[in-house]
Amino acid sequence: MGKLTIGCFSSLVGSMTLDWAVKLSGAAIEKGHKVDLWVSGNATMLSIQDQRAFKDYSSLEKPLKELMAKGLNVTACEACAEARGYNKDNTMEGFKRFSMDWYLASTFNADRVLHIGGE
Amino acid sequence: MKLVTFVSDYKINVDTLDRLKPEKLGIVLVENGVYHATTKENGNPSSLLNHSADYYVLLNDLETRGLTADDVIDSKVKVIGFGDIVDLIFNDYDKTAWL
Repeated sequence: MGKLTIGCFSSLVGSMTLDWAVKLSGAAIEKGHKVDLWVSGNATMLSIQDQRAFKDYSSLEKPLKELMAKGLNVTACEACAEARGYNKDNTMEGFKRFSMDWYLASTFNADRVLHIGGE
Repeated sequence: MKLVTFVSDYKINVDTLDRLKPEKLGIVLVENGVYHATTKENGNPSSLLNHSADYYVLLNDLETRGLTADDVIDSKVKVIGFGDIVDLIFNDYDKTAWL
């Protein structure tokens, strides 16, 4: 088994790329791989706790928590989060916040890297 | 280098794919990119299918758009799931790209 680092730089609403990245993370964990998921830009909204789940609307908190319980290592860009008013108080438990060098370090010891750019 | 490229858009207007010259190229159609596998314009299939590459399309993203494997118009495009994508990334290719 190996380690996959995914970097996702997209928004939640309007673009399903963040959902896609979470699904891929789940599939990789299911296959026994280790996954680091880095979110930057608008994708840092993934880190906010207590988001309300509406029908037919992207809601990733529940699946994300399930994956974190299975070992998903997910980190938000601290600067991007703070720039959007997301601070420690409303960050989901277990969701780390670091600067970009965390992502770079993660890619350096990954077997595979998938960088999903923002729109 | 063995490169797997994820095409996530239908109205892709960059020539990145033309400029990529890996030893082995895989093209995985995801999100709105799945329309390249199902849509004809003026009677012609998408020109994106003309590269010498192994082609795949993600069933989840077909179904999200109300499409099925039967809507795929070219048999060289293989219908796969997320688990298959993980295997492609780890076993069949060594680099990835997202367009």
